Amino acid sequence: MDPRHIRNFSIIAHIDHGKSTLADRILERTGTVAARDMAPQLLDSMDLERERGITIKAQAVRLTWTYEGQEYELNLIDTPGHVDFTYEVSRALAACEGALLVVDAAQGVEAQTLANLYLALEHDLTIIPVINKIDLPNAEVERVREELIEVGVDGIEALAVSAKKGIGIDEVLAAVVTRVPPPRGPRDAPLRALVFDSRFDSYKGVLVFVRVMDGGVGVGDKIRFMSTGKEFEVSEVGVFRPELTPISALEAGEVGYVAAAIKTVEETRVGDTITKAANPARESLPGYRPAQPMVFSGLYPVESSDYGRLREALEKLKLNDAALVFEPETSAALGFGFRAGFLGLLHLEVVQERLEREYGLTLITTAPNVVYEVHLVGGQILRVDNPSLMPVAGDILSILEPVVESSIITPAEYIGQVMELAQERRGDYQGLTYLDPKRAMLNYRLPLGEIMFDFFDQLKSRTHGYASFDYQPSGMAAAALVKMDILLNGEPVDALSTIVHRDRAYAKGKALAAKLKELIPRQMFEVPIQAAIGSKVIARETVRAMRKDVLAKCYGGDITRKRKLLEKQKEGKRRMKSVGSVEIPQEAFMAILRVEDV
Amino acid sequence: MEPRLDAWGVYVHVPFCPRRCTYCDFAIAVGKSAEERERYVQAVLGEWQTEKLPAGEPLAVYLGGGTPSMLSPAQVEQILQAIRLRSGGLGVEVTLEVNPETVDPERLRGFRRAGVTRISIGAQALQDHHLAAMHRGHRAADVALTVTWARAAGFDSISVDAIYGWPGQTLGEWQETVRGIVAINPDHLSLYQLQVEPATALSRMMKAQILQPVDLDLTADMADWAESYLIAEGYDRYEISSYARPGHSGQLNRLYWTMNAYVAVGMGAHSFNGTRRWWNVRAFPEYLARISAGHDPEDGAESLPREAQMREYAWLGLRTVQGFSRSRFYDRFGQDPIEAFLPVWLNLNQNGLLAWNTDRIWLQPRGLDLANQVMAALIDAAVMPPVSPLASSLRRANLER
Repeated sequence: MDPRHIRNFSIIAHIDHGKSTLADRILERTGTVAARDMAPQLLDSMDLERERGITIKAQAVRLTWTYEGQEYELNLIDTPGHVDFTYEVSRALAACEGALLVVDAAQGVEAQTLANLYLALEHDLTIIPVINKIDLPNAEVERVREELIEVGVDGIEALAVSAKKGIGIDEVLAAVVTRVPPPRGPRDAPLRALVFDSRFDSYKGVLVFVRVMDGGVGVGDKIRFMSTGKEFEVSEVGVFRPELTPISALEAGEVGYVAAAIKTVEETRVGDTITKAANPARESLPGYRPAQPMVFSGLYPVESSDYGRLREALEKLKLNDAALVFEPETSAALGFGFRAGFLGLLHLEVVQERLEREYGLTLITTAPNVVYEVHLVGGQILRVDNPSLMPVAGDILSILEPVVESSIITPAEYIGQVMELAQERRGDYQGLTYLDPKRAMLNYRLPLGEIMFDFFDQLKSRTHGYASFDYQPSGMAAAALVKMDILLNGEPVDALSTIVHRDRAYAKGKALAAKLKELIPRQMFEVPIQAAIGSKVIARETVRAMRKDVLAKCYGGDITRKRKLLEKQKEGKRRMKSVGSVEIPQEAFMAILRVEDV
Repeated sequence: MEPRLDAWGVYVHVPFCPRRCTYCDFAIAVGKSAEERERYVQAVLGEWQTEKLPAGEPLAVYLGGGTPSMLSPAQVEQILQAIRLRSGGLGVEVTLEVNPETVDPERLRGFRRAGVTRISIGAQALQDHHLAAMHRGHRAADVALTVTWARAAGFDSISVDAIYGWPGQTLGEWQETVRGIVAINPDHLSLYQLQVEPATALSRMMKAQILQPVDLDLTADMADWAESYLIAEGYDRYEISSYARPGHSGQLNRLYWTMNAYVAVGMGAHSFNGTRRWWNVRAFPEYLARISAGHDPEDGAESLPREAQMREYAWLGLRTVQGFSRSRFYDRFGQDPIEAFLPVWLNLNQNGLLAWNTDRIWLQPRGLDLANQVMAALIDAAVMPPVSPLASSLRRANLER
């Protein structure tokens, strides 16, 4: 198609502002999907995504829409809706010329709205503000227009829409056609196609989702991935309508997929540039960076005989998840397992849940941690992604931890509570801006390790659900960190070691020991729990020995019932990990996450 | 010591209750009329006529509930008569479970005349506020009265049940209960640690925090105190939760622990014939409907392969304080149980839970406290293959040294 009749656009929004519903309406209105085939939120194709109501992987759909007698090809590129996947969002946006910025008419501009907006502006996208949910009784369209103006968007031009009720959808489509510029890019130049996502298909190999910037690509072409130099022969190109639809070629300006018998998504890195082997482009497209795991956790099978199955399962997940990294690891306590790196906590939870649900594994996941940069006395620098591998204190000159730049938008009356929370989490105050007299944005530099777990929950509870939060990584910073070990029955349990800030080590140690006492059931003998820094014990608790464990007589000869109770007891045991002679339930390894704020 | 391998028992389930106790999740039927009770008795008699019986006279008969003392003496007599007619006798002991509020001297004399030799009284506690919270139908004072009447009616053996670990129960109250029961001199006591079963009123009250969970150490103190007190009072602890004067252990319950056969009739009743267990439908109308249509009331069954029988024999046998006999096990399965589960026994022995000698395997005091741990180790234990007789006897000699 003539590039003048192509429009590539995304929808960006704060969570729950109605992005998926708007996408659904657009698919319906353009006849891409018949209304009767609509599963709610069609673009979120993984079950997990639908259950959690979030988009994990981006998708791209080609729509056809006739405007004033002219047929247009509209490519809707959906973006992941979670801060773990900011880089993926940025690549998806780089594949577009415009974006619909959806804002809830009752909630107004939120932190994620801004983060996505700035990301889109960085890529020079045309922004079409869409005020959604205007059917709500508490909708305040005018106030939201003003907020949009405050943050630098032309609020007057904002479309008033109710995706739920199907109001204003034609206007949205018209705005996409008239306001988003058509793609530019020479079709006769050497091929440059931006990889913005990929998916494993068991028949075709990896489907690489691309936006062709320059040139074109067709079946039989030999292509090269510019970051790795790997070459493949194209077996199919096509578009999503939303089902896979092969076409003969993708030209500059178009969005679609390329299949080339590629075995793992790892070879098709998001942000990479595809060119042709025969006539390569001189430079790759800007902005590529390899996936950077931010959060690390040990994954161990409860049954050590499941180690092989766990490896196979991880390898299979890896086929479709380039951001997942893992390597074998041995724990004195847990045996053989893997240290895996994730984009964030959500990514970790998704992987863990898929391993348990789709592969039937029972896992012990150790408390997630960030990666530390350790400067040793000898001048050497170590990357430590497992707390138990932290060198002894005497060898360490300094420890650096990853930090993020965050923005928190809150009603003005909760500023005090938000600042208090940020201080507790070792936040470094950067600034305060009022969006309007009632809402303010706070900027803090925060250690990533302090916001991974329950920061957002805390923020929500302290602001009665009103605050929103977003962040982006901002390098490493030195901090007074120490390794805290946990000893059970006098033996250190490496999988329970954590890195904590020196000033709060005592309180954390005490709280963690108390939590473990609560989580570890009584055993046949007494189990002392100690928290220690180096050789110094800073907290101690005791799980007392089990005194009685008996069942009453079996009633009326019903032996089966008694047996079932014993089997249940046994099953509970099976879900525990024997470390030395102590049986530890799965959740104890995550105890540090459940320690109340101290 | 243990019953013969071919000894068997009869259990009759009588589901009627004036009300449901808050902790109860048994197969019971509340609020049935006299006419419905009579229809049930006729159905039980019908089922009994169709049961396949082991050879010979049963060792013991047990009418459990529910509240069997809600039947009339005539109905009890009719049931016992039917059992006697088909199997040639009623054995050494005929037990009837009794709730104090359902009996008077007249009815108790009637039950005795009908052939009942032993009664088991559900006292549960001797504090009226706890009885009310349990939703029991009697008061503390009724228990002694019932025992007095039962003695007068001429019962050979009287058992009393009590529950410990009830929410809010103090050690002092428990001592009061046990002392109060001992003061009326029963021949047998069953002391049950409260178990909060799902879907009972009790579990709902605990969830709603109307009743507070019970401290495990306090419960353990109650059990320990009762054990030493009862032993001092001349009772023998012969099973984990049962105490008896010499010669008064419950005969039918013993058959369960020795894996003997028992024929059970009535709704929800569980039977066992040595290799197969089966159980009846649990709902009152369905049980009646099946019997009156001439259908089998069986709701489910399982056949135990030899190895499962061996495992079950072992963990059931360990519920009795004297444990079980290796030679009786050998007679039944053709293999020494020590050899069959050697790794389990060694492990339990190392942990101070279990011991054995040339003929018996039994739980040590710590093993009785943690019986579930022992039994859980056995329920899926691998059965070691039999070794040659010579190797076996050599190993046995070694182990016993």
